[in-house]
Order: sequence, then C-alpha cells, then structure tokens
Amino acid sequence: MAEWTDAENRALTDDLTNALGARQVRTDGLERALYGRDSSTMEAEPSLVVLPRDASEVAAAVRITTGHGRPFVARGSGTGLAGGAVPLDGAVVIATSRMNRLLEVDVTGRLAWVEPGILNLDLSHQVAAHGLHFAPDPSSQQVCSLGGNVANNSGGPHCLAYGVTSAHILAVEVVLPDGSTVMLGGVTAEPSGYDLRGLFVGSEGTLGIATRVAVRLTPNPPTVRTLLLDFDDTDDGAATVSGIIAAGLVPAALEMMDRRAVEVVEAFAHAGYPTDAEAVLLVEVDGLGPGVQEAVDRIAEVARTNSVRTVRVAADEAERQALWRGRKNAFGAVARLEPDYYLHDTVVPRAALTRVLRRVYEIADNHGLKVINVFHAGDGNLHPILSYDSRISGMTEKVHRAGREIVEASLDAGGVLSGEHGIGLEKRDYMGLMFSADDLAEQDRVRSVFDPRRLSNPDKIIPGGSRCADAGWSAGTRAGEGAWV
Amino acid sequence: MSRGGSFPIDLGLDPEDLVSCVHCGLCLPHCPTYRITQEEIASPRGRLMLMAEVAESGRADPVFIDAIDACVGCRGCEAACPSGVPYGHMLETTRAALVESAGYQPWWRRIGYRILEHPRLLRASSRILALVQRTRLVPSRFALPPIPLRRTRLESSPRGTVWFFTGCVMDAWMGETLAAAKRVVESTGVEVRVSGDAAPCCGALHVHAGLEAEARDLAREVMAALDGDGPVLVPSAGCGAQLKEYGHLLGTSEARAFSARVLDVHEWLVGRDIPLRVGPQPAEPPPRGRPVVAVQDPCHLRHVQHAHQAVRTVLEPFFELAELDDAGLCCGAGGAYSAAHPSEAAEIRELKLAAIDRAGGDLVASANPGCMIHLRAGGAPALHPLELVDRAQRGLL
Repeated sequence: MAEWTDAENRALTDDLTNALGARQVRTDGLERALYGRDSSTMEAEPSLVVLPRDASEVAAAVRITTGHGRPFVARGSGTGLAGGAVPLDGAVVIATSRMNRLLEVDVTGRLAWVEPGILNLDLSHQVAAHGLHFAPDPSSQQVCSLGGNVANNSGGPHCLAYGVTSAHILAVEVVLPDGSTVMLGGVTAEPSGYDLRGLFVGSEGTLGIATRVAVRLTPNPPTVRTLLLDFDDTDDGAATVSGIIAAGLVPAALEMMDRRAVEVVEAFAHAGYPTDAEAVLLVEVDGLGPGVQEAVDRIAEVARTNSVRTVRVAADEAERQALWRGRKNAFGAVARLEPDYYLHDTVVPRAALTRVLRRVYEIADNHGLKVINVFHAGDGNLHPILSYDSRISGMTEKVHRAGREIVEASLDAGGVLSGEHGIGLEKRDYMGLMFSADDLAEQDRVRSVFDPRRLSNPDKIIPGGSRCADAGWSAGTRAGEGAWV
Repeated sequence: MSRGGSFPIDLGLDPEDLVSCVHCGLCLPHCPTYRITQEEIASPRGRLMLMAEVAESGRADPVFIDAIDACVGCRGCEAACPSGVPYGHMLETTRAALVESAGYQPWWRRIGYRILEHPRLLRASSRILALVQRTRLVPSRFALPPIPLRRTRLESSPRGTVWFFTGCVMDAWMGETLAAAKRVVESTGVEVRVSGDAAPCCGALHVHAGLEAEARDLAREVMAALDGDGPVLVPSAGCGAQLKEYGHLLGTSEARAFSARVLDVHEWLVGRDIPLRVGPQPAEPPPRGRPVVAVQDPCHLRHVQHAHQAVRTVLEPFFELAELDDAGLCCGAGGAYSAAHPSEAAEIRELKLAAIDRAGGDLVASANPGCMIHLRAGGAPALHPLELVDRAQRGLL
C-alpha cells in the first residue's frame, strides 16, 4: 500500500479542484470511505473521489491524476462482486454515476449512444417506446451501470440466447491513462483492423475509462413464456437442463436455484416459489407465438421425463415479473441467513454440472458452512454462495478455504474462473490456477500497451506486486520469477 | 461542506441491523436523493455505511448530520431491499440520537412541530398564514397550497361505528378534501365519528424528525381519544402509516391492538358498495367521457402500508387509470422535507412530473395530502382519490 504525503495529497486536490470545481472533488474522510468498496467484501480507502459530469472532465481528471503519478479507479454504481472498483495504492476514484444520459437513439440502426453511468434497466426503459431493449440483463440490472457492464463483460439470465455484453457493444470512446481520448470499434458493420473494442470490453478498468458507448439494441420479443419447474432431487433439475439443450432448444433463459436459495428468495419476493422443492428451474422462451408454444410443450416434456413435480407457466406479465424479481434479488436476499456472503462465479461444462454441484455441497459440509446455489444453468455458470458471519473468529478464513476448494473443483472439471463477475481483486490470486506464468506475462504485456505505468485500476486481474511501475517494472522480466503462481 | 466539530454519540442501533446491509446497491435507483445527486452519500447504502462507521467510532460530525438530514424518509429503499434492512426505523433511531446529542433540528423547525400538536394554535397560525398569503409575501419556493381563511368543520356522529382521522395540517388547510373523503365513506351507509381536536396530530413528522418523546406523547393522546374497538379510517397515507406503527413506537400490547384497528380509508372501502351516483345530478353531464386518472402512489402507502392497490380498486369503477413507470419513486414531498429542503424537493418532483407526463391522463390521484400539495405546486392537476370519487358520484366529473 502506497503512502502519500499530505503535501502530495494537497497538490493533487488543488489541481483537480481548479480544473473541475469543488463540487466535483470530494476529500472528506467519511465520504471517501463510501467509495472504498463495492458489493464484494473487500475495501480500501481512496485518496480522493472525483465526480465528473462529462467526458472532458474525465479526461482532465485522468490527466491530472496520472500527472501526479497517482493511480485511478473508474467506478459506476459500485455493484461489482469481485472488488474490481476497490481503490488500491491510494488511488483516486473517478465515479461516472453522474454521466447517465442517453445521448442518441438510432431506431432503424437499432443502436444508441450512451454515457457510461446510465443504469442498465433505465436504458431499456428509455428505449421501450421504440420496442427495443438492451439485452444483457445482469441480476443487478436495475442499478448496475453500462460502464460497469462493459468493464466486466457482464452476463445475465437472457445472455444464454442473446450473448453477453461484448456482443452488444459496437464502439467505446475511451480516456486512456495519459488523458488522451480514443475511439475503439465503430457503428459500421465490420470496422477494419484489430478488434480493440473487443479487447477493451471485459478489461475491468485496467486499460482506461469508457466515456461514451455505442450499444446494440434488441427488438422486444412478440411472445414470452416463463416456466417454473420444481424437482425433489437436484440431479433431476440438472438432468432437465442438459435434456433441454440436448433437444436442440435454446431458451432465452435457463436458471436453477436450490432449496435454500428458493427459501430466501421467496421470503423477499412472495412469488409463490415452492419452498419444499430441492431444485427449481426458471425457464423463459421467447419469439413468435406458435414456435414459443411448441418450445414450452417440449420443455415440459423433457422435465416430465426427469420426474418434475409441477410445471407452472406464468399466467401473465405480473406473475412473470414476480418470478424474475425473486431470481434477480437472490444475492441480496441471502443476507437474510447471515450478514456476509462470499460467492464464486465459475463456469463448468454442462456435462459436469451435476458432479461439480455435488462436490460444492460436499465442500461446504466439510467446512460446516451454509451454501446456496443459484445459477445460470443453461451455460453452466455456477454461483455458489457461502453465507457466513464474519464477526465469528476464524470464519472468514474458513470461508476462503472452502471458496478455493470450490474453484479448484470447477477448474478440475474443465471449467473457468469467472463467467461474468470479473476477476477484479478477489479472484486475482486464483489466476495462477488457470494460467501459466507465461500466459499471465503475455496478458500483462497487452495491458502495458494501454497503461505502461500501471495507473489504471492497479493490481487487478493479474497477480503481482503493487506500484511496480515506479521501479520500471517490466512484465517480461517478471515472468520467470513465478511470484504469482 | 462543514468540517470538524466532531462530538460523541451513541446511535443506539441494533448491531444485527447494522450488519444486515450487504452493500448490493439495489436500493440506489429507488432513492430520490440518489436519483438527483448520483452520490453515495445521498443513498441508503451510503447512509447505512455512515451509521455503521459512527456506531463503531462513537463520534459523529456535521457531515454525518447533513447526510442523515438529507434523507426524505420515503422508505422506497426498504421495499427494494432483498436483505430486509429495516432502514426506516434505523433512520428514526439515528435522528432521535442526534436530537439527544447534537441538538439536531434547529429551533424554527421545532416550533413548527410544536404548533402541529395544538389545534387552536395551528388554526390561528394558519389564519395568519392565509392572510399573509393573500398579500403574496410568502415565497413561492415553500409551495404552500392556498390556505382557507375559515376551516371547514366536519359533523361527527356520536353513534358512528367507524372513526375518521382528520389530523393536523389536513384539518386546518384541506377541510374540503376531508369533507369529500368523509362523504364517500358515508355513501356506503355508515355513520362516522370524526377524531377532531381530541386527537390533534399523529406525530409522523415528529418521528421523522427524531422527536420521539413528543411523538410518543401524541400517540398516547390519539389512542385515548379514539376509543372503542371500531376501525380507524385514515385519509392521509402519512398519518395512516404512523398510526399503524404505534405498536412499534410504544411497544405495548395496547398500542399494537390500536394499530391493528387502523386502515387506510381506501383499504376499508375495498369490498364495500360505493354508489356510482349520489345526490342530485347536474342537468347536463360533464362534457368528456370517463376521465383518465394517473395514480401516484404516496411512499408511505406503497412502501410502508403496502396498501396502494386499494386506491386503484376504489377508483376503477369511476375512471380509466394510467400507471406511472417509475416503480413508486418518491415525489419529493416527504412531510416536512419539502419545507426544509425546497430546492431538492422541487428537483425530485421534476422526475415525478416527467413520469406523470409519460403516463398521460387528465388528472392525478394522490392519497396523501403532502404529496398532493407538492404535486399541485409543480403544476400537476392532483386531487385526493376520494375527492375524485366524490365529484364523480355527484356527476361533476
């Protein structure tokens, strides 16, 4: 952790205040503390908080901050689950929450230009009159920002059919760590040259700050049907997931929750989830009327061959919304069990789903921990949530040990570390489980092209020391040291 | 921003409540002050983190007071919170601690709350205000409604089987609204006892301001006045929410039993025969067809009482209804909030007026007098739902 002197802090504050105005720069201790964490369990203290109003203020803030040799961290709504927005090394937090405008809608081109602070669901509401929406729908969609979606290449229940965020981002205007502005990608069908837009999406704030984003808009489906299937046995639920995909069906969403998840979700949403079921599947099918009905019938058929207890089809939009409200609030609702939670985001091959799931329960049992499973079953993206009370001594360490075992079990089954939450700070030290030192060094070299001084969201994604830039740190020479494995 | 001046304080919050927030942020879009500032310190998550910080350090400062004072108290966050954080009660407890330790609430606000407790004083001040208002000396940013010079007196029937709660400001300023609501209740064939001066004020504004001792006194006064075991009908969402929370405020079985008798007037009307026509009808019917009414849900009806559907059920036989698309976001009235924070209240109102515009409609129904006044001051044609029903019954709409 870097120490900055009062004089250094004062000089930086003065320069930022002169450029942006006092209302845009926050120095109070209590206020800074509020920007020290996101929705994960990690925290740090930013040296300053900047609240720019437009792209030029972001550019000025970045230029001044890095001019002082100080790192910065971009922040949207602060809903990240992997500590991606936690400001290390006394970084300046640049929060884009005020930049929340829908700038331009091209209805025939089905695209829109937005500022990064616009909330995911607000965007869909604002284009609803044109019969369009932004398809990626993270569970936090009512509050997460587009900039955050871009940073984490976010997924969501409906990404099974529609693809994750990257498939919906056409262009990004980016302020680079030196304060200059570039446009990556473009709104034309196939921009020439390397797909740097694709590189930026999912880079978790380590390459710069997005200040304008061109997003693809998706027509609202004419017909939507939502099914709730419940089972006495988790294996039957998992088998139904495989069966649906094997039958060649591609539902818009295919979600699974276990018994404990259903209990906490129902306590909040009162949507009529069966709290005595061992597993529940929420399946959504959309498209044109007749095709949708056929898909519903075939899904029910697959479920019946796997001993489903009941097949419930939401009768109307209100019932459908209530079911989704339950699913999308699951993480927060877990706090009804214990004050803290720690979750993973691994993706495993669908064929290994049942096996890994059993292993997750086993690991939790071995450690005497409560685990709640709620996940995107269709694409094998697990979200095992360990629920605990950090005030009990030794508990946090125990939870982290169990978490690591869960990650290892997923990787052993041929899975990957993160489906959609990002690596951030929290999963950074697991990267060595997946990548060799050479792999990591190469990734770090890519980063260096954009951020040679490691000032843009330092110490995230790639494991390694902090503030290495000062020592002329070069990725190539570190590769052999094996420091992060 | 004010700095320094830190002082010792015991917030008196339950540690279990303090750890119940997991910082997921799902409250942010439902918070009116976050919506206008996009800043953590103006969000429920931010305020809860500050409470935790202050509870742990045992010291607060003016930044903390400002942050807690800036909350409208709409409790929209509570309805949105999947973890079940009891934000409203935590806010009230924190404000009470600030009153105790820091003299929170300046003298001029305290005088205001005092006046509410004394009907004669309130009427006298209202008359003065009404006169001053006619000289156009009251700054319009305070957004007061046209205050009547004479109060409308409501007839009370001693044999009445239901209590009709009239409250403080509503009784002094909005007698016509109360009279209309009472007529609708009576049109179902019951006789009504009017609470009047014996139950001067519910104490909601006092609780929101952290003046809990005063609020408890008022609660006891109201409970003593509204005797018997008949239902207590409340035409104001804010007062109704407060009367329903007496059980929590006083913590006695008597108070809980009283709270169980309290109903928002629309809740009581659901399932009763509300005649479509009452009294002599005008020779010529109103020119338009069925008017379209946009329904604005007062926060304390929707997020606290969860009784907002009842308003729709009561209005449906008379009007076409239009729904707002803002998930019940606060309008910025917030009881005394719009007087204490007029510019923020107006900024929040802009969001609501835009939602009303998008919904379309000839009129706006608002089941809380504070919201109604606030919306009208912003130019919206807002009326109490039962005023609308009353007019429709008389063939005036």
